[in-house]
Amino acid sequence: MPIELTVNGRRHELDVPPFYPLAVVLREELGLNGTKVGCFEGRCGACTVVVDGRTVVSCIYPVGLADGAEVRTVEGLASLEGPLSPLQDAILDHGGVQCGACTPGVLMTLTALLEATPSPSEHEVREALEGNLCRCTGYQGIVDAVMAVTGGAR
Amino acid sequence: MSAVGENVRRSDGEGKVRGTAVYGIDHEEPHYLHAKVFRSWLPAGRIVRLDTTKAEQIPGVYAVVTAKDAPHLHGFACHDQPLFATDVIRYEGEPIAAVAAETWNQARAALKAIEIEIEPIEPVSTVEDSLAEGARLVHENWEAYTEAFPLVRSGNVAAEATMERGDVEAAFAKADLVVEDVFRTPRQHQSYIEPRVAVARYEEGRYVVHTSTQWPFNTREGTAAYLGVRPSAVRVIVPTVGGGFGGKLVAGLEPIACLLARKSGRPVKLVNTRREEFLAGNPRDNCSIRVRTALTKDGEILAQESDTLIDNGAYGGEMPLVAGIPALLLPTNYRMGAMRMRSRLLYTNTPPTGAFRGVTGTSLNFALERHVDNCANALGMDRREFRLRNCYRDGDLGPTGQVLEETGFVQALEELERVAPWAEASAKRPYRGVGMALLLWPTNPMPGGMTLKLNEDGTVGIVSAAIEIGTGAMTQGVTQIVADELGVRPEDVVLLKPDTDVAAYDAGAQGGRTLFGAGNAARVAAEDVRTQVFATAAGLLEADAGDLELVDGHVQVKGAPDRRVPLATVAVTALWTAGPIQGTGKFIAPPIPYEQGCIVGSVFTAINAGSWNAHLCEVEVDPDTGKVTILRYVVVQDVGKAINPKAIESQIQGGVVQGVGYALFEELRLQDGVCQDTGFTSYRLPTALDAPAVESIVIEVPSPVGPLGAKGAAEAPIVPVAAAIANAVSDAIGKPMNEIPMTPFAVLAAIHGDGNGAG
Repeated sequence: MPIELTVNGRRHELDVPPFYPLAVVLREELGLNGTKVGCFEGRCGACTVVVDGRTVVSCIYPVGLADGAEVRTVEGLASLEGPLSPLQDAILDHGGVQCGACTPGVLMTLTALLEATPSPSEHEVREALEGNLCRCTGYQGIVDAVMAVTGGAR
Repeated sequence: MSAVGENVRRSDGEGKVRGTAVYGIDHEEPHYLHAKVFRSWLPAGRIVRLDTTKAEQIPGVYAVVTAKDAPHLHGFACHDQPLFATDVIRYEGEPIAAVAAETWNQARAALKAIEIEIEPIEPVSTVEDSLAEGARLVHENWEAYTEAFPLVRSGNVAAEATMERGDVEAAFAKADLVVEDVFRTPRQHQSYIEPRVAVARYEEGRYVVHTSTQWPFNTREGTAAYLGVRPSAVRVIVPTVGGGFGGKLVAGLEPIACLLARKSGRPVKLVNTRREEFLAGNPRDNCSIRVRTALTKDGEILAQESDTLIDNGAYGGEMPLVAGIPALLLPTNYRMGAMRMRSRLLYTNTPPTGAFRGVTGTSLNFALERHVDNCANALGMDRREFRLRNCYRDGDLGPTGQVLEETGFVQALEELERVAPWAEASAKRPYRGVGMALLLWPTNPMPGGMTLKLNEDGTVGIVSAAIEIGTGAMTQGVTQIVADELGVRPEDVVLLKPDTDVAAYDAGAQGGRTLFGAGNAARVAAEDVRTQVFATAAGLLEADAGDLELVDGHVQVKGAPDRRVPLATVAVTALWTAGPIQGTGKFIAPPIPYEQGCIVGSVFTAINAGSWNAHLCEVEVDPDTGKVTILRYVVVQDVGKAINPKAIESQIQGGVVQGVGYALFEELRLQDGVCQDTGFTSYRLPTALDAPAVESIVIEVPSPVGPLGAKGAAEAPIVPVAAAIANAVSDAIGKPMNEIPMTPFAVLAAIHGDGNGAG
């Protein structure tokens, strides 16, 4: 039975085993390499994507659970030929990106956060980010970027 | 409009936030095979039998390689390491064989089909075991190894360095007070988010490998050595790198992928699992450091003596050179009448240790600055006052006798005082404490070359093997320097992906050298380009070449801005008159005079372009749980010249948070040589909730040899953090914390005992 996924608005029917990790399907079947796999144990959060509005660590999330669902990845945050989203702009301006390997997961976590909580406190931002490890920035630039786009004070 | 000094965005930023940047783990080649490595599960043993016949017969398997396919020994400093264990196993995780197959599952099945018998040997699991009389030699054949650098070696001592200046005995004999401490520091894993990866193919008699490396030329050299070919038979290309922090400096997966590619006839992709990263990822070395200081009662430092033991693990890598670093980082920061230091690097049956941001400096600065607090307390002197009284000032001699012409400690301490007055911070409150630490940190002096080419559209291409590992050194710093030197916008500077077939040698992203070394090479190359541009433009503008300047993408006559011609026109004109414009530049830091003969066994003899740093930390300790909460963290850092202030701030914040992990909870634990932490489940990295807000103040004490005065900026911020926090915790609980990490258990034990590591 094929698995039906809608990824960044595009519908796919995929003939893959349902226990395949979603991250592997995104990267190897759909060529969406923006989603990074840092640990394959669901701990680093680099592979975070949004499934029906909820963040999941796609490296340990069986694709079968996403059957029929709406999946969003970093590639869907801005149109290919359009400008960056305000959050993408802000994270660059605030020094929230260094090596960038955690960035796709961080952006997806923050996207889900801001949809649920449009004006989070700094502490809420940090709590949301707890599952996304960033070894480069010390997180401050990432947090500053969110506060800048939401107009919240630090 | 000048780009230098502005918070210009990183040129690779848009690709990174859109998810279109191609990292090593994203690189694929047509019809590539999946590779996996078969590793030892024992820390020490003898291979009695190894049979790969069944593995080779698994459907889809194209190649299996073992030590028979790669008999050569290599190592950055000492050639002590085989690619695959031959008869002796020296650490848990050591490669024994590797396979390449059509699918990942077939490769995994092939690993399970490898037949092997290993006779276990009692591991030499600690530095103390390694030093013990009659200890088994980790390398029975150590005397036969060849060296890339002259090393002092003996049995389990993989390298030894010594230094002595002044009359140490006499100084201790006349001291009013002698303070002695022993410090212990843990292994810390780099834990970059992108694991190591190598994608290799063999074509036209050469190996081509795309890999996540910080130092492509070193990777090329190591790969070639293991393959038994000359370095130019290997081409290293570096996609976007997902972090390194020192962990990706030496060849590891690349030669294995190359061997498999040649044997299978297909491209091969080999990616480390996170478990493999922890087992065989050369983490920061664990150390023990004994420091003894002779003092007068009014706080003068008469002499310092130290003995450092560093855990090398099973193989050397770059560590034998690191054995010399204590000479520059223990008898330092303060005027001392005399000094003696000994440092030994010990082989153990544990995973090889290696470079991690601030190589060994994190341990040594922790020891020195913690010891300084203990000295001040023993004297009954204020800790800041003791530092201010003794810290280096202009004209003082550094540890090896180099003259320190322009120092910055006093300025750094004054800046710190301005934002965080010491008297206020050090007022006594129960279980609240404050600590500070000073750091004089060198910039790596190694060489690099660069080519700049002027494109026909007036943009500038950077052809360089210097690596952007995330710091912004290339995509911001060097890009901004080139933009200003040639009067173009940063977005008109195009950075080529590093390729050892194309670019000149560069000594890699290490020791804060990228902006310093590549920035200097860029300035020389830009001067070369400018000369050629002006020669062509002089004809177009009917002006003397000496009267021209580069502004806003144009060449114009100085003082006559209406007489100008676009750089693109100059580039195209040059094509058909002088030939295409490209300039080359190169740099190596000039040698620094020091007291020759005072130091033995070290290639590091002086501090190049040293940066002056002062950190301050305020903490609160929960006496019931032992948990340490950082209330305030302030960094004053000298960068020589701030090319991109925001990028520097980001380096400081990230470095401090890595230091917080090191100080409070990160430890790669070993038990009888066996790794206890093989994933992020038990190896705890700092999260967003652990990261304190970091106040950073940048000062500029220009380096006479740095580009525009700049020094390395990315490495220093991690180094003094453990000392600053430990000094604050010790102050808070009134007992010395001489070991890290200061986990809640360790802090509780210290509160209810005599502190830790006091003996």
